[in-house]
Parts: sequence; C-alpha cells; structure tokens
Amino acid sequence: MRLELRHITPLVTILFGLTAACQAPKSPNELAWAIRYDPKTFDPAKVDEQASEEVRFLTGGVLIRLNRKTQQPEPELAASWSVSPDGRMISFHLRSGLRFSDGSPLTSKDVVWSLRRVLDPATAAPVADEFLAPQEVKVEAPDALTVKVHLPKRVIGVENVFDEIAIEPADRPSEGKVTSGPFIVADYKRGQYVQLGRNANYWRRDAVGAQLPYLTGIRLDVLNNREREISSFQRGEYDLIDGLPPDYFGLLQKKNPSAVLDLGASLNTEEMWFNQAPNAPLPDYERAWFQNRAFRVAVSQAIHRADLARIAYDGHATPAYGFVSPANRAWHNDGLRFPHEDVGASSQLLAGAGFHKNESSLIDAGGHAVKFSILTNAGNAARMKIATLIQQDLAALGMQVTVVALDFPALIERLMHKQDYEACLLGLSNVEPDPNTQMNVWLSSSPNHQWNPSEKTPATPWEAQIDKLMQEQGSTLLQKNRKLAFDQVQQIVADQQPFIYLVYPNTLYALSPNLVGVQPSIFQPGLIWNIANVRRQGTK
Amino acid sequence: MKRRVSVVVLALMVAAACVIVRLPGASYSAQDREVISSGATAHYWAGTDDVGRDRGVRVAVAVLLGLGGAAAAAAVTTAIAAGVGALAAFSAPAIASVLMLASDLFLSLPWLFLLMMVRSFLPLTTSPMHSAVVTFTILAALGWPACARAVYRGTLNLRSSEWMIQGRASGLRPAQLLRRHVLPHLLPLLVPQFLICVPAFIVAEANLGTLGLGIAQPLPSWGAMLQELDNSASLATSHWVYLPVIVLVMVLLLLESLTAEV
Repeated sequence: MRLELRHITPLVTILFGLTAACQAPKSPNELAWAIRYDPKTFDPAKVDEQASEEVRFLTGGVLIRLNRKTQQPEPELAASWSVSPDGRMISFHLRSGLRFSDGSPLTSKDVVWSLRRVLDPATAAPVADEFLAPQEVKVEAPDALTVKVHLPKRVIGVENVFDEIAIEPADRPSEGKVTSGPFIVADYKRGQYVQLGRNANYWRRDAVGAQLPYLTGIRLDVLNNREREISSFQRGEYDLIDGLPPDYFGLLQKKNPSAVLDLGASLNTEEMWFNQAPNAPLPDYERAWFQNRAFRVAVSQAIHRADLARIAYDGHATPAYGFVSPANRAWHNDGLRFPHEDVGASSQLLAGAGFHKNESSLIDAGGHAVKFSILTNAGNAARMKIATLIQQDLAALGMQVTVVALDFPALIERLMHKQDYEACLLGLSNVEPDPNTQMNVWLSSSPNHQWNPSEKTPATPWEAQIDKLMQEQGSTLLQKNRKLAFDQVQQIVADQQPFIYLVYPNTLYALSPNLVGVQPSIFQPGLIWNIANVRRQGTK
Repeated sequence: MKRRVSVVVLALMVAAACVIVRLPGASYSAQDREVISSGATAHYWAGTDDVGRDRGVRVAVAVLLGLGGAAAAAAVTTAIAAGVGALAAFSAPAIASVLMLASDLFLSLPWLFLLMMVRSFLPLTTSPMHSAVVTFTILAALGWPACARAVYRGTLNLRSSEWMIQGRASGLRPAQLLRRHVLPHLLPLLVPQFLICVPAFIVAEANLGTLGLGIAQPLPSWGAMLQELDNSASLATSHWVYLPVIVLVMVLLLLESLTAEV
C-alpha cells in the first residue's frame, strides 16, 4: 500500500498548527527576542545578571539615562540635575505630572524611597557599592519635585549610577508590575518567556506628540540554543539577536545583507596569560619562564593576530595589542608602543634570555624543553580555534603547546583555587568604558588579578607602579590626569605582557530590517537602549 | 558471505587510509591559513577544515586511530571480562558473588561523568597521543562488566558439563582444564563480545570528543571532527564537511555487520 500525498497533507497541517500554538501569539506591533536564561529577579534593586538587567532596562524608569550613542547622560524622569562643585551633592528636578503605570502620581517621595531602598544594606543592592560608602549617603526631598542626594565623598561619573536605579512607587515594590519606564512585566512563565506590556502612562512623547513607546509589547523567550535562536530569527519570529556568533554572520548576511550589523571592535578582549603565581604547583624552571618578560614578549611577537581575527572570527574581530579597545575612544592610548609581530625578533629575544633551539624544540638554559599547556573552556568554537592557531604559531619557535579544553567549573577550580595551570586563554567582557570598572583586574591585591592573584605586596616594581597609577586615576578629579595615569597603565601592560592580548571581538547584531528607530551602539544594551522610540515599519 | 565482503571493504578502507597518511606532504596538523574551510581543490582532494588542515588526511588518521584504539581497548576489555568471568565461575560462591557485585557496581557508575572527571584530573601537558591512549584505556577499563557477566554465565554452564567432569575425573590440572576445555569453548562467546565492543568504543570516543573531552588537538578523532557539524554555518561552507560522518557511519555499519553474522 502506498501512502498518498493527500493523506499526508492534513497531518502536516496539524503538525504545523501544533508548533504554531506553542509560540505565544505575537501582535503586529510587538517585538520578540531570546534571552539566554530566566531572570533571577524582577526586583530592579536586586539585579546582578544580564537577563534581569535587560528586563530592568525595559521596564524601570530612571532619573538619568546614559545615551549609548553619545555616551552622555540625558534627562529622563528628572527634567534636569546639577552636581555641586565639590561633587558631593546632586540635586534632581523632576518632570511635572509624572505617573506610574497604574496611574498613581510619581513624586519626589517615590524617588527618595527608591533611592533609600537601594542604599539600605538590608536590600543588598549590587548597584549600592558604586556610591563607595552607601550607608553614609543621605537623600532628601525639599519639595514634591526636588530630590537632593548628599555623598560622603566624590564619586567619579556619579550620573551613570542613576542609570541603573529604577524608581518604584513608595512602599509598594511590585517586581516590575507597576513601573515608571516604557514597559511593565505583564506575564512570566519560568523557563518559557517574559511578556512585557506597554506602560500607557509613560511620560515620553515623540516629536508630533504621540505617546511612547510605539510598541504594544515585547516577548522575551528564555532560550539557550543559538541554532534555534538563529532559525527563529530567519523565520521572522525574533526581531533581533544581541551578540551574534561570528560564524553565523556570513550565513545571515548571505540571505539578507541588511539584517546583520558589524559595528567594529567591541570593548571586550580575548587574551592569554601565563601563570606567574609563586605558590602555583609548577616546576621552578617553568615559573622562571613565565616570570621572564622576554619569554612573554617573545610569545606575544610570534602570534599572528590577523590570522586569529580572520580564521577564528571569520574576519569579525580586530587584532588587539592592549587592553583598551579602540572603540573606547575616551580611554584608549593612541600612542601605545607595543611589540610588533616578528618571529625573527622573537627568536632573538629568546636566545638573549638563554634559550636555544635543539632540532625542532626550544630548550631553556637549564636543558628543559619548553612545553606547556593552554587551558580554555570547552564549547567555545572561536576560542578553540584561536588556541589551535597559537599552537602552530608557537611551534615555529620550538615551543610544544598542548591545548586543553575543560568544562567551566573544572576550569575555574584550577584557575582560581588551585592555580594549577600553565597558560590560560579566556575573554574579558567590559560593560563600561570607565577604568574604575577594571580595578579588580589591575590591582595586585585583587583575586581577579589573574596572572598572580591576591598578592600581599606587589611582586614586581611594575605591578607596584600599576597599583599606584590605578589608585591615582581613581582619586584624581581632573579628567586629563586620569587619562594620563591610565595611559601609563596601558603602556606598562604592553611592555610587560602579563596578559597577551589577541583580538577585540567585533560587536555583531542581527536586526530585523523592518524596525525603525533602532540606534545600534557597542555599549550594552546596544540594540534596545532607546526602545521607546522603536517601532515596526508601517505601524504607528 | 556478507561477512567476508565486510572484512574486505574494511581492509580496503584501512589500506587506503594507510596510503593517504603516507603520501608525501600529508600532514594532519599543518595549517594552510590561505585555504580555510574549502571544498575539494587540486591540492586538497577532500578540502580543508576550519583552520586550513587537510580534511582527507585527518579522516584517514581518524579511521586508523579510531579502529586501532577501539580494537586494542576491546581486546583489553574482553581479556579482563574473560579473566573475571572465569575466575568467578571457578571459585567459591562467596568470591563469585563479590566479583559479580563489583561488576554490577561498575555497570551502575555514571561513566560519562566519571570520564569527564578523569579528563580534568589528567596532567594538562598530556600530549595528544597520550590523551588518545588514556581515552581508550578508560573505555577499556569501564567496558568489561557487562561482558564479564556473560562470560560468568557461560563458564558456569561449562563447569557443570559432562566433559569437564570427565576431564577433572581423569586428573587434569586446572590450568590444563582451562587451556584445553574452557578457553576453546568460551571463544564463541568472547569473539562476538570483542566485535560488539569495537563499534561501541568508537561511538563512545566520538561522543566524548564532541564534548571537547577525549583525544586532544591537533590529533584528529571522530569526536573532534563531528564537532564541526554542530553549527549550521559551517555546514553551509562545503559538502565535504560531511565526509567524517559518512566514513564513520560506513565503518560502524561494516563493524556491526561483522557481529551480526557471528
């Protein structure tokens, strides 16, 4: 018996009907995209990971919003603000007639309550630390539209902190159900989706006076599967992808060149480093290689970074020689001098440091063959390719490199607790351009000072110098002096190569071409920071 | 008949792989960075992988390494199983039940988790060749219990057979009994066990490799090559990316057809 096509068709229809039913229906003026995991909290004060932060960004009304395009703070719920000359008092003047999504008025009382809640140690709000001494911050409201914040000491870039504090109705925290931002949390199914609804009382209007946001809602699907995310995007079910993997860029571009965006170098870096910790369980001669500047510089000079960018990232990365990406225009050291790629110079440098080549292997002064492993995390295709390419680049010097991919918990165990590794290849993401956010990497006392964590006193004079300069840029008031100090830190790192920087991965987005008003930026959240002004083509 | 065809085809594949690996200029690790993810070219008959390595040579090495490693591991595992099974059958019931309990315990271990743990405890500088040896050794060490139980059952039957009783009665020592009567009769049980283990170990290595554990780069293994297939972008580059999986399926089919007819 043959199964005829007409028998199959109803079955196919039913199947399609079923798959369509699984997706929550999407109205024409609603957007959808994927978040990788469930938000840990909807309480805007307790946000400490990306999914929650994204929800807070879409729902929370803030006093000041940082324009991701210009990097300048702009008035939001506050019509204006001023900072006292000593930097220790900020006063906000609120817009009049503000209302929450439930229609209740928003006054200085709500602002004071929200700020105090964030500052209260009982709330344990991660953002509170940015005030340096949160318990000593005083907040007061002289009248219904004015709020004054007194700081115990000056905080550099204090306006940016208010970009992360959502104003909620006083005494009625609602976990995003009553907000002063463009959207509210309308529905949430764990493991499935977060549905955001439009806040009809949002204060902002467009140039012709129409109420914003344009969109009627947003659906955030919880989905940790790139393949499915990308095929949903291709079918038009998703409107954007933040952080498109480079290998998929070409694939999407081929189908629709206007659906993908490469904004050039991001703030993030990929780097490798050698373990220099004195208590690491390594043979003394190995530690001596890793602590030898000539050895590190020679390795750096032998790596073909252009190949890494071209092959591992399909061309969607920028070779890196320092830790501040050129995309960070305010802080990048344009005059940075760094060791250029030169395998010949690299061999000479090693010869000068007592290494010699025996047939094809490199031997140190004590007769030990130079062999080491590079550790990286399993499951990152680009990083694995980088490691394989470096393996061949260093083989040209006679170094025998093995590449080991471990799952993340095992990697962290070796890296942070046992310090049982030789070299490591990982990436660092920088959300903010300001050097203060990198303190934890550069201060020698920090546990995240990877090549030699938690030093009691700086192990080398140059690490002491970095400590001093980082403290200096964090305490000086003049922008010019901060930049000068931070430029020197960049120069010392380029000279000493404790981290060997490889590439800045580019910022890659996929964006439905029928969206109007998106202003893509390399700063997070790069596609949705002005969500109130985004709409679908042909809708009002 | 079918079995003979399978053996011939398998032998031809191995011979072809040996020839490819020995061709002048053949290298499984050299990266030609100007020719990335290509299809067949004049120089690379099966194209190159995502870092510009010769795909044909890599598949050939994977065939040899996979078959060789799995066969060695299967031999070891069958030998352990024969030893444990026979020992249990010929010793006191108490010892037998301890041995069988041990094999049950082995069977109930979460072996994937164990393999991952062992891999992360290995010295990091383990060379790629050593990592291959370790991977197959672990597979051999974990593969024996199911087989040992079959051997135990088989040997128990043998033990109470009439010709064994007659052998014992005519004064044969245990070693002689084992050589003359037990082993020849166990062979029909051990050969299929061995043949079942070979494809099973090849698949196990491939699974480990796709998790990024198992055999280290740049040594080619099925697992590492299958990893390339888990992303739709690389599938679009050239049809030759399917070569490793096609060859793997062929090898497994041939091996399975050997077991089917024993």
